[in-house]
Amino acid sequence: MNSIQRHLSLTLGAICCLLWCVGSFAAYLAARAGLIGQFDLALKTDIQALANMTEQSEAGFRFDSSGEFMPKFQRDDHPDYFQLWEPDGSTLYHSPSLEDNHDLPQRFGTLQSPTFWNVTLPDGSNGRAVGIRFAPKEDEDTPRSPGAPPLTKEVTIVAGFHRAELDNRLHYLGTVFLLVGVALAAATAVMVSVIVRRGLRPLSTLAQHAETIDASSLQLRFPTQNTPLELRPIGTRLNDLLARIESSFMRERRFSADVAHELRTPIAELRTLAEVALKWPEDRQSTQNALKDALHIALQMESIATGLMALARCEDSLLPMHPESISLAALCDEAYQTLEAKARAKKLTVHLDLPPAACWYTDRTTLRSIMSNLLSNAVDHTAPATAVKVCLQKNGTGERFLISNPSNGLAPDDLPHLFERFWQKDAARSSPDHCGLGLALAQAYAQSLGMKLDAELNRTEVVFSLSEATPCPRA
Amino acid sequence: MRLLLIEDSARLQSSVGRGLRKAGYAVDVSGDGEDGLWLAESNEYDTIILDLMLPKLDGLALLRCLRQKQNGTHVLILTAKDTVENRVNGLQAGADDYLIKPFAFEELLARVQALCRRSYQRKNPKIDVGDLEIDTAARVVMGKGKTIELTPREFKLLEYLAVRRGQVVSRAEIEAHIYSDAADLMSNTVDSTICILRKKLNPSGSSLIQTRRGMGYVIEEKPA
Repeated sequence: MNSIQRHLSLTLGAICCLLWCVGSFAAYLAARAGLIGQFDLALKTDIQALANMTEQSEAGFRFDSSGEFMPKFQRDDHPDYFQLWEPDGSTLYHSPSLEDNHDLPQRFGTLQSPTFWNVTLPDGSNGRAVGIRFAPKEDEDTPRSPGAPPLTKEVTIVAGFHRAELDNRLHYLGTVFLLVGVALAAATAVMVSVIVRRGLRPLSTLAQHAETIDASSLQLRFPTQNTPLELRPIGTRLNDLLARIESSFMRERRFSADVAHELRTPIAELRTLAEVALKWPEDRQSTQNALKDALHIALQMESIATGLMALARCEDSLLPMHPESISLAALCDEAYQTLEAKARAKKLTVHLDLPPAACWYTDRTTLRSIMSNLLSNAVDHTAPATAVKVCLQKNGTGERFLISNPSNGLAPDDLPHLFERFWQKDAARSSPDHCGLGLALAQAYAQSLGMKLDAELNRTEVVFSLSEATPCPRA
Repeated sequence: MRLLLIEDSARLQSSVGRGLRKAGYAVDVSGDGEDGLWLAESNEYDTIILDLMLPKLDGLALLRCLRQKQNGTHVLILTAKDTVENRVNGLQAGADDYLIKPFAFEELLARVQALCRRSYQRKNPKIDVGDLEIDTAARVVMGKGKTIELTPREFKLLEYLAVRRGQVVSRAEIEAHIYSDAADLMSNTVDSTICILRKKLNPSGSSLIQTRRGMGYVIEEKPA
């Protein structure tokens, strides 16, 4: 399974281990070079001492061996070796440890910068050799005539020394570096794992929190306090998303409950009417009343079905549209005519204050349906003996058609639900004449026309505003 | 048996109320929660049929209010709310039964009968009184192997006296449990129904239902 923690732990651990290995090896090489350099410096001192013991005169070369100096070349156990060659290549002198039939390899540098190399010593052990070619100093015991040119003939000395001690030190150094490197790599791997786990803990917490959230716990929110800065925007955005999903779920549940009520109640009414009428058929008057009720219920259900189908047509953009120039005042009068009797019965004062010249370019039937629904909503839900006002308002270059009436208990919290299908202010949904589809339909119609239908509360009034989408073409 | 139907749908009030009355119950009807609560607290009902979505006072709030006041009347919730959560909430609030709309009227009737039986600590729908066998589920009375034809009101009266066998039942109690407010209750309605019932049950003369003068009527535990 793909895991950030595992990926980071493995990658960082591997990189750290590699860096430790490379670093340890480089440090080992540097230390090794230092030790060999020190060893070579000692060899250089020794060979320069041998050079100092070599003299030349016009008669030839002489090597002045000294008993105090020679022991390391004379001992029985692992002696060192040296050999001195004359310019013609013949051996001038060699250490007693070097047998006659053994020559040391000839390689050389200068007195100041000798040549060093590894060599197998005549006794078969590993050694390190140093070689120089130089002009020996003149023999002070053999006087020379004044003005004679200096003696410049050069001889070659090569010395071979046992390097077992050096190798032991190098081996010890290598072992130490290897063990320390392995220990550091292991410690690094553990530390990387711990640090990565700790660093990713907020992410794990976020993931665990997310796992606990399902459809039944949408009220839960991600903690944003004490959350790392990098994760805070994620938590905030997820919380916003959850709030929207929760709201959507609640709307869905409310919708389902409302639909259930709107459909189940009339079905229950129909079924009970029929069953009771069939059970006691001898009561003719009651049966007659039941049939009338059944017809009324059927009409009510037909109205719901018609509303739902109209909404479906709006959503599928199946409404026929025939835009034309429409006089708002005339269309509003026409829509109000069917409601006039009801408004009069409730003693409502309806002010249709639209300028006669007001004209919109849109589909007449759809706009009339919007006006009818808005006016019907105002007349039905306004308290008796109050006023409903209809007017037109300039809105920049366009116009807004406004219908306002006393809010009659509507609260600001109700506004987001006003255009939801089947929503009713009365939670008991006790009015059989309303099912809560009118405003949803009006908004769907408005959207089909490219208009915007809004509602707002002004102190004691609710105001519905319909914005004009296309200005009327002027003659 | 006296029932209270609290339902805001006027058509359901009418049709369910009519059916229950036809079945012999005395039915009071209320259209909102506040009025329903007042009726439930003011009268003694055998069963309350309660809608949940009610104006003025929600059905669940009404039920909780009743239970807080130690009112133990059996309550059947009759609602369109059908989710498990709704049902659990209703039963946990103190309801005895839960029926979802739309419903079969026969099922409602059977559930109401079961709740009424439970009101009198009975599980068996059949009551044996002497030679009589009263089947409260089939609503049939058998005497010496023959069916005795009774009207729903007569049947309910006999059933009420039978379930309270051994107890003297006053005329007022009979009026409260058998006759709804809507009934045209004359002062001698109970007496005349008892008289008809006696004749139908035993045409020969010896009566199962005894009169306790000034107190009421009784069916003895071990009738003669």
